Formats: sequence, structure tokens, C-alpha cells
Amino acid sequence: MNPAHNRLFGSALQSAPVPLSRPDPFPRVAVNEDEPKVNILLVDDRADKLLALQAVLKDLNQNVVVARSGKEALRQLLQTEFAVILLDVSMPGMDGFETAALIRKREATEHTPIIFVTSLNQSENQITRGYQLGAVDYILSPIIPTVLRSKVSVFVELFKRTEQIKRQGERLRQLEEMAFKRQLTEAVDRLEAETKRNRFFTLALDMLAIADFDGFILQMNPTWVKTLGFSEDEFKSRPGLDFVHAEDRPAMIEQLERLREGADSSYFEGRYRCKDGSFRWLGWTASPFPSERLIYIFARDITQRKTNEQKIESLNAQLKQRVHELTDINSELEAFSYSISHDLRAPLRSMQGFADALLEEQGERLDDTGREYARRVVNSAKYLDALLNDLLDYSKLSRAELERERVDLRKETSELIALLENDVKKRNAQIELEFASEMVSAHPATLRQIMANLVCNALKFVPPERPPVVRIRTERRDGVVRIWVEDNGIGIAPEHCDRIFGLFERLHTVQDYPGTGIGLALVRKGAERMSGCAGVESEPQRGSRFWVELPAA
Amino acid sequence: MTSNGVTILHVEDDPNDVLLIARAFRKAESAAQVQVVNDGEKAVQYLAGTDTFAKRDQFPLPSLVLLDLKLPRKSGIEVLEWMRTQPGLKRIPVVMLTSSRQPIDINRAYDLGVNAYLVKPVDFDALVEMLKTVDSFWLRVNEPPSPNKD
Repeated sequence: MNPAHNRLFGSALQSAPVPLSRPDPFPRVAVNEDEPKVNILLVDDRADKLLALQAVLKDLNQNVVVARSGKEALRQLLQTEFAVILLDVSMPGMDGFETAALIRKREATEHTPIIFVTSLNQSENQITRGYQLGAVDYILSPIIPTVLRSKVSVFVELFKRTEQIKRQGERLRQLEEMAFKRQLTEAVDRLEAETKRNRFFTLALDMLAIADFDGFILQMNPTWVKTLGFSEDEFKSRPGLDFVHAEDRPAMIEQLERLREGADSSYFEGRYRCKDGSFRWLGWTASPFPSERLIYIFARDITQRKTNEQKIESLNAQLKQRVHELTDINSELEAFSYSISHDLRAPLRSMQGFADALLEEQGERLDDTGREYARRVVNSAKYLDALLNDLLDYSKLSRAELERERVDLRKETSELIALLENDVKKRNAQIELEFASEMVSAHPATLRQIMANLVCNALKFVPPERPPVVRIRTERRDGVVRIWVEDNGIGIAPEHCDRIFGLFERLHTVQDYPGTGIGLALVRKGAERMSGCAGVESEPQRGSRFWVELPAA
Repeated sequence: MTSNGVTILHVEDDPNDVLLIARAFRKAESAAQVQVVNDGEKAVQYLAGTDTFAKRDQFPLPSLVLLDLKLPRKSGIEVLEWMRTQPGLKRIPVVMLTSSRQPIDINRAYDLGVNAYLVKPVDFDALVEMLKTVDSFWLRVNEPPSPNKD
């Protein structure tokens, strides 16, 4: 290449503009619009030269900054980073070399490429000095635009590459940092989770363990030691099956087999030996982890529950036995009542019948005492018969299922009074029904029995000379109907008011007031069997007020 | 109207009751002939006219059977059950005369088609009254069935 040719003289710059259309023998730097522009610093004291250089470099499409002196250049360098500096050697004041020396002294610009621009007539010596000062190249003026452009573009490219590498390095560093941070976070999280898990494992009240497929425990929490008394080493030294109660072992072996085959978690119960030789019931849940041939075990001490269950079971058995016995007793009682009803009555009938026959057919051959004795036989037999009947009623009341229905108390009582007409007439008595229709929930036959006993008592326990007056009235409150049967009879001392409801309790002789001593017991029992109750308010000689309470309906 | 020639079969194992009831019948002035057998098996034989009861002129078919429940060999219930299956006997009125007031006995008897159920009273006069009623109702007031010859 002929340097003379194509050379642009500084002075002739304006008159001979650079022929931009000419094919460029040097490959142009591809301009990527997306890439950040780099800075190029032009330093020259002459404005025309700066203008010429700017024009040449315009094609590079980078940021061109101009400085009119070394000082200005240094100022620019303080603010901006440059890809390359084009430095005019001969400048008034601080020349190019001095400027370059100062640029090199600053660390930030130590390696910034400097291209000296100098005229052809500069000595070889000057060039050497320039290189010593760190110049990377020389451009001789007059400038050949293509050469200048290509030289500058090399540095632009270099800078860009360097920047790119720096950026990539930075990205890489950032990526590495991120990856590291992530790993660190993960490690911290894992550690934390493990700590928690360990704490969970250690502090759990249930027994947690990990065993291998041969049934040896590999890891266990302290609850095992606490519950069963063996040390951890003792547990781990023998297969778990050794600790299982002989009776539960076959089931346990079966469970282990199922787990080995990968069957999902299952629950089973079994007894486990303690250090002191006793056994505790454990409820087990285990899950296999076949890939590692491990079994995760979760066991809970259920001894208390088992003991309770056994207690309940034995109580249940006792209860069943008791019910069985009671059923037996009940059927015996049934047979007994039947026997009373049938067999005991037959001889009574004979006693009564034959005493009667004796009186009637042989009466003339007996004296008064003989006839009196025969009469006593008759009366005793009658009394025993009444006693048996009442007893039968009472025992029936205790045992029978009393089905309750809605009963009109007034209707039942009226019917009863009609039945008692003879007795009422005989005693010249008066019965006053002082209530309207009143519905109660009762077993009709039992209700009739109760009312009959109360009304008969009211008629009976009145001195013979006094005509009985019986008042029957009701009170209703809180879903309960209280029936009062009040008389004008001999009354009862308060201390006896409760006693008279007992079986066979009598306050008078049979001679004074006949009766079996069962009637009021029957009243109370009957009321109670119908979810009610019975009582009396009385004072001697002031009449009695008997009451029965039944659920209203 | 008289109940002359009318027979009552009384099935009763208790000799005391047999005596007392016979006396009560007398006092009730019943004209019926009372035939007594002491157990269920004999009752069946009598009614079937077998064994010692083969002679019908001596042991005529009764117009009424008074049947106790608890009897040796065959219970009153069994006798009743059997009677109701016998073409020649099934229409004969049967009255239970027993000591049992147990609902199970009463209901069972009615289920088997008993015509009445009476409980022997302890009081002798009451027994007389009861037998008077039986005599007048079953042997006089009541229209008897015609003997089934099928």
C-alpha cells in the first residue's frame, strides 16, 4: 500500500473530504445497534484536525468525545471510561507524551489503549518514546481514513469484547453466587427440618423407630426406654420379635411378612416385654420402605386401654351371668307364684270346705267351742286365701311388663265406685269425686288396683260408728297428676306414715281392721312401676290424705 | 225343665275337691249325673268310650265337661286339645274349673276353644253359687249342640 496515496493532509481536510463511498479494503466493524456504544476520546489542540478525525470515525457509530488539551483529556478520563484515546503528540503546554504519562499513572486508565497521532516528520526517537509510554500504536498524519477507522475499530472491538467478557464474568459470578446462596438456603432449611424432625422424634410420647427387614431396630426414640425399661443397646442387640409375647408372636411374624412384601401401613396390637418381665400392650402402626428395606414403626402404649377393655369385658360377663341368674330366679318365682296360685290354694279350699261341711252337717254334735273352732278354721282359710291373692298381685306387679296408655282417671274411678256400691251402702258411706276428666299415663289394671286399695282403705279405717266420707280430688302440676284420696278415718301417726307402705306392715290387729298388710305396698309398687310415687299426709283421729302421683297424658 | 238324664263329666285329681264339688253340686240342687275321672288319660278313655268306659249306657257322653288344668298323665289342656279334634266330641261344651288364675293358662284354654273358665273359690258358699250358675246356664239356659255323628 502506498502511504502517499489516500493520505489526508491535515490542512487539506476540508478541501478534500474523505470519499466515503469508496470500497473499504478493511472489513468494516459490524455495527450492532443493540450493543452499547463505546467512548472514543480525541485529543488535539486543533479544531480542524478534531473535526476531520470525527468525520472519519463517524462511521464507527460510537461515542466520540473531543478534548482540546491534555488537561481536558485528563478531566474527561476522570469522568468516563474510554475504549481508546487518540492523542496528538504535539500540543502546546502539556504535549501528548506528558498527557500519556499522566494517563498511565492512574490505575483506572493504566491499560486504556493510546494511539498517538503524529506527523511524518517526527523522529524515530519520538516514536520509541511513545511506545515506552504505553502507546499501542501510532498514526501518522496526514491520516488515511480507512487505516484510522480500522485501527480504532480494532480497539473499539477489543473494548467491547473486554466489556462483554467482563459482563459475562459478572453474570457468571452472579449466577454462581445465586446457586451458592440457594444451596446454602437449602442446606440451612434441611438442617432446620432435620433438627425439628429429630426433636419430634426425640420428644414424641409415642414410640417411634426404624427397623430393618429382619426386624432389628436401627433407630429409636427415648420413649421406648422409658416405657419398657430396656436400654437402647439391649433393644438393638436382638430382633424385635424376641420382645413380643409368645402368644402374639405368630401374628407379629405375619405382620412383618406382609410389611416385607410391601403391604401398606397396618395397625395391630400385641404385648411387648418389659425389663421387669411384665408385658405392656402396644398398638402398632408400621409402614415399609422397600427400596431401603426399612420399616417405620409407630407404637403406642395401650396397656391402660386394654386393661379397661378387659375390665369392661369381665364386668360384661359378670353382668350377663347376673342377668342369667336373675332370669332364672324370675322364672323360679314365676313357677312359685303358679304353685301358690294352684297348689297352695287347693288344701285351703279343702280346709274351708270341710270345716264348713263339719259345721253344717255335724254342727249339732259339736258344742259351742267346737263350732267356734270350726269357724276359726274357715276364717283362717279365707284369710290365707286373701293373703295369697294379694301376694300374687304384688309379685305380678314387680315382675310384669306394665304397658301404659292414656287413661281417664275419672272414668276409672267412677267405675270402681260403682263396683264398691255394696260396701258403700253397708257402711252408709259417702264418696265425693271432686274432679273432672283427667288423663294420666298408666297401666289400666294397675291403676284400678291402686284406686281400689286406697278407696277400700278409706272406707275401712273409719271407726264403726262413724259414716265414712271419702273425697277424691286431683292436682295437676309440671306434667304430673296427683290424686288425693282423703278420708275421715282414724288417721296415722306421722312416724308411721312411711312404714305403712312396706310389705306386711300393719298398725292394727286383723280383728280391728282386717287386711293382709299388702294393699299399700301394692299401691306404692304400682305407682313406682308406672313412673309415679305414692304417699300419705295424716294425723291420728284427723283422717288420712293418701296421694298417688302419675305422669299426665 | 229338668236336667234328668243329663251327665256332667268332672275331671279332677284332688279327692278333696272331688268330695267338695260333689257336695256343692248337691247343695246347688243340680239334677245332673256327675261322673268323675281322676286323670287326663281316663278322661280321654271315657270320652272315647274305650277301656273300662266302653259301655255307653253306664258311661254316657256328657252334656258338659268340667275340666281341671293340672292333672296326672294328661293335662286339662291336652284333653281339651284332643277333644276339639274329635268329630264326635268337638262340640261338647267344656268349662275349666281350676285353681289357676295365670293368664297364660286362661288364654291357652280360650285359644283351644274352651267354653268357660272358672276359678275354684276358696269359700264353699261361693263354690255352691258358682255351680248353681253352671248348672242353670249350661244345662238349662244354653241351647246345646246336636251330637256330631260325622
